[in-house]
This record gives sequence, C-alpha cells and structure tokens, in this order.
Amino acid sequence: MMFGRIAFMELKTGWKGLLIFGLLVLVISAGIPLIFPTYRDSLIEELEGASKVHLELPVQQGGMITLSWEPVDTATGYMVLEDNRSSMVTPKLKYMGNETSISFEKDFEEKRYYAVMAVSDETSEPFLIGITATEKDEDPFQELLKNPAYAGFTGGRNISMLEVKGFVALEYYGWSWILTGLFIAYLSVSLIASDFENKRMDVMFSAPISRRRYLLEKFTAMSFIALFIVLIQIAGLISGLASINALNEFSANAVLLSLIGSLPFLMVIAAVGIATAVLFQKVRTGMGITFAFVFAEFFLYTFGGFSKSLEWMKTISIFKYWDYFSVIIDDLFKGGDFLILIVLAIALVITAIRVFQKKDIPT
Amino acid sequence: MSKPKQGSVRERGDTISQEKVIEIKNLTKMYGNHVGVKDLNLSVYRGEIMGFLGPNGAGKTTTIRSCLALIAKTAGEITIFGLDSHRDSVAIRKKTGYLPGDFGLIPSVKVRFYLKYLLSLSGCDSTKKMVSLAERLQLDLDRKTNELSKGNKLKVGIVQSLMAGEDLIILDEPSGLDPLMQQEYYRILHEEKKRGKTIFMSSHNLAEVESVCDRVAIIRNGQLVVVEDIRVLQEKTGKVLEVEFRDTVNIDEFKFEGVGGIRQDNGRLVLTIHENLDSVIKAVSNHQILNMNLKTYSLEQLFLKYYAGGETDERGGA
Repeated sequence: MMFGRIAFMELKTGWKGLLIFGLLVLVISAGIPLIFPTYRDSLIEELEGASKVHLELPVQQGGMITLSWEPVDTATGYMVLEDNRSSMVTPKLKYMGNETSISFEKDFEEKRYYAVMAVSDETSEPFLIGITATEKDEDPFQELLKNPAYAGFTGGRNISMLEVKGFVALEYYGWSWILTGLFIAYLSVSLIASDFENKRMDVMFSAPISRRRYLLEKFTAMSFIALFIVLIQIAGLISGLASINALNEFSANAVLLSLIGSLPFLMVIAAVGIATAVLFQKVRTGMGITFAFVFAEFFLYTFGGFSKSLEWMKTISIFKYWDYFSVIIDDLFKGGDFLILIVLAIALVITAIRVFQKKDIPT
Repeated sequence: MSKPKQGSVRERGDTISQEKVIEIKNLTKMYGNHVGVKDLNLSVYRGEIMGFLGPNGAGKTTTIRSCLALIAKTAGEITIFGLDSHRDSVAIRKKTGYLPGDFGLIPSVKVRFYLKYLLSLSGCDSTKKMVSLAERLQLDLDRKTNELSKGNKLKVGIVQSLMAGEDLIILDEPSGLDPLMQQEYYRILHEEKKRGKTIFMSSHNLAEVESVCDRVAIIRNGQLVVVEDIRVLQEKTGKVLEVEFRDTVNIDEFKFEGVGGIRQDNGRLVLTIHENLDSVIKAVSNHQILNMNLKTYSLEQLFLKYYAGGETDERGGA
C-alpha cells in the first residue's frame, strides 16, 4: 500500500530505455562544448575577413564614401552588394567590375552594409571577401542576433558567440528542449495511455488504488525521470566544459542552476502529457497533442520576441519561465519563474485527476 | 422484472446466508444513446456462487465493471459490503478479487514479480497462497509475462483474482483453460466458497454454470430476465413425450403430478414429464401405440429459451 510502488515499477521496467537515452544525452551534453574552440577559431577567421574590406566615410553629410578591398589572385572581377540589413537578404547590386576600389556619394542616413565578392572563372559561384558597415560598433554576428527572427532565441540579450557562454547557450540550451522536452512528452503520455491500450487498467484498479494515487505515482515517476535527465545533462556539460578548460568562464554552478531551472519546465510537459493521456487514452493522439503543445509554446516564445506588440505571447509560453540566459549571462536565478512552472504543473495534474475520476475506463 | 427469489435462497440455508454482499438497485448505464444496462436489480448473498449469464453484449461486463467503479453509473445504486460502490471503491477493492474479461500484463517481467507487485498494491501478504494457487494450476512463476500462452495468461489472471480477494471474487468469463485445469479451477472455487467467500461470475459456458453456481441470473439486452436457484431451473427441465395412438384417448389418464403441457391433436398426445415418468409410461402402455418419441428438454435448451426471450412473458416480463 506504500506510496511509490507504481512509480517504482515504472522505473524498474523502463530503466533500460532510460539508460540508453541517458547515454545519448550525456554524449550530446559533453560533446557540444568540445566543438566550441574550433567554432570560435573559424568565427574569428570570418570576422577578420571584414578587415580585407576598407570603408572610408566622409567627414560631412553629402560627402563621398570610398570602399576598397584587397585583390584576390584568382578573381576575374568583383561585385559589391548593398543592403540595410546585416543578413543581406535584400541586397542591391552596387558595383560590378575589375576595380578594387569604388567611391560613391553618401545620400542616406541609416546604417548600410556592403558585401564585397570576388567573381572567378575557376569557381562558378562568387565568393565573399568580406562584409563591412557604415557604423562599426558591433560584430556582424551580434547584428544578426538583432534580427527579429533570431531575437526569439536570445531573449533579446547581447550574446557573443566568441564566448563559450554564448555558444553553449545558443547551440545547446536553445535546442536541448527538443531532446529532453519531447522525450518527457513521449514518456509521460505512453506511461498512462499504454496502460489503457494494453488493457492493464482493469487489473490495476482491481487493487485498492485510487485514480488520484495512480496519477500522482505516474507523475512522481516522471519527475524522477526528468530529474535524472537534468542531472545527466549537468554532468555531461560540466565535464565537456572542464575538458576545454572553460569552467572559469562558464562555472559549474551556472550549469547546475540553469539546468535545474528546466526541471519544472519538463514537469509541465509531463503534466500535459498525463492530462492528454487521460483525456484521449491513446498513445498516438496523446503524443500528437503533447508534441504540438511543446512546439506551439516554442513558437509563442519566438514570435513574442519579434516585436513589442507581440510580447504578450511570451508570457503564455513556458519557455519564458525557463530563462537560462538569466543564469548564464546575468548570474541571476529566477526563483519566481521556477515556482510559476511548478504551480502550473501541479494544477495540470490536479485537473487530470479530476477528469480521470469522472471518466470510464474503456474495455 | 424478476426479483431474486428469497425463498429459494432460504431453502439452501446450509451454505448461503441472507447477508447481501452485492446489492444492485435500478442500475442503468448508457453509452450515449446505446443502452448498456437498464434498471437492473440483483443481489448476491454471502457464501454463494452466483452465475451471470447472457448473450454477447447483454450487459454482463457493464454490470461487473460498474460494481468495481471502473465505469460511472448513469443511474441507480450499487452497495458492496454495505459500502457505496463508487464513493468507497478503494475500501471495497481491498477485499475483492477481480478477473477482467480481457486484460494485459506488464511485459518482460517474471510472473512471480508481477503477481508480487499486485499483492503489494493490495497491501496483503498472501505470497503463500499465490504459490499454492500457481502450483495447483500448473503455472510456472519463473516464466516471463510476455512469453505466456493464452491459457497461461489466463492462469495468471485467475491467480491474481483469487489471491487478493478476501471476501468477494468477481470473475468475468473465466473459462478458457483446458478441461483438466478447468476442473481444478472449479474445485478451487468451491473451496473458496466453503471458506465463506462470495463469488460472482459471468459466463458463456452453461455446463460451467450448472456445475459451479448456486444461483444464476440471466441478462438480455441490458435487462435482467430471470434470477433463479440452479436447482429450481433444473426442475424445469424434463422430457417431452409424443405418442401416436390407434384410438383417441382420454387425456385425464395422464394427469400425474409433475406432468404438464398435456395436449392432443389428431390422435397425437404431447406432454412434458418432470416427475412420475414410470406412471406415465405405464398409462401409455394401456393403449395400442403406433409411434412414440421421447425428447430430453435440457437446461441448455431452457437457457437458450431465456436468451431468445421466450420465457420472459411467462415470468412476468421485463
């Protein structure tokens, strides 16, 4: 009768799958930081490309801009593209010819970007010599992050990909929810819906177990599984950071706090999975809906970052309440957000219990 | 609607008490517009084996699963051990064993582990009973649950339902073992009954009901058709005699006790004999016989008649 037997049974029968998934998470968590040094070097090389292109601005309005670049041996000609966005997705052709320097009148106010490309007979595609801008206060990557399409990933913060913090935050934390969140979504739905589908409910409820206890035990099992995954992530990430000697930049403490912050996030997903499993009693339906929930929440968060008028979208996304940037960049653990998600998870489980108590168990 | 016959229960006072273990009052269960069970009244007394018969889809499983609160009632009341079936379901299930009509096992664990897990959920320590039941039914406790044949899976369900039910055992169509095992199973059920347990079992198998049950309830289209002591039903069975005489006979000659349904047409006499077969045959032999036919009217035919609805009106209708 002791509470925990059903939860224990889930862990006991599912440990093999959990172990395999845990190993996968460990490899990914430890592997991502290992990529950082190579990534940083190639980024620096790319940024230095900017120094191959020189821009001379006029002293006064209406003067001439001079753009020059280092010649490329194999080039048969050069191309200059102009855009007011760093992403260069709406470029205009400014120049095409054999010169390595052009001058033109500055008849605009806003910031403009110039990409200089070499055209060669040997390679059919023109290749980039460098990008420069009329205002040089930021590196082009930071400019890119200001693009609304990317701002959603950073919570509007200044992130430098030249630092291990920025790289891990964007490339690991920014995507890890697909791995962990969807695994939790799948597991929480199937933990209950498979009992329906495999006709185990009748035997389960011939024992003196209330439906409330059954769901609470399943939720407890899911919480332990979520904790297990988070601990694996923490262990993996810390060992990865340690092996590139980056723990002085990105402390073990920050790894711990930022990932513990994902625990209530995963518990909410588990609670949604449990609620949909109880409602629909089918693994496929429940999983479809829970996956859709996770993606919808993600899109709400990213769209919420597009503009001020859409910011309300963020507040109804669970992604807002797992603010790892706050821990990693600002050194601030948001206890309030942590509690909001825990309260939400509990409320969802209580709702699921209420629904389950009224539902027939199908034969 | 037939009420359970109190009289017949009292007559069998040797083993059956008048304490109601299950009392179903006006149970109705609708599935949308479809009727699962309608206005069903049924009582099961302490220490009896009550058989629950009916065609597929008649409402047997619906009734049983309502008792265990696996499904909600649309209307009516079910009391088990004097407790409300839905409000006090956990307390009821503490003393009840249940074999579902269809069930799945937790895969990839040993049968012993699986059954011990269920025992731990019940909070009772009857490992010894589990082992002895498994031995008697020749169930290997060290097999993995996903390697079991259909029959062995049923054995797991049977052990599970018998090991935990302290007072009441509810079985939803427990047949499907080989004949030898089935006999052993019936012996176990009788022993459990002698220990004072109440058994409520649904079945398709008429022979099973006849050999195991004290009373039988027949359900058709969600409504109870009859509740009767199995011995009373057996008395309703008999032999149908058809005799063709050379001459017309006076039918009064054949009016013995235990002989009914006497009629004569075109020199052919038809009668149903429950008792006094000897007297009837002797009376028949006083005349010159052209042709004679004696048919047995079995319990099975009686049940089939109930299934088809033939006896409903005779018994007061539904």
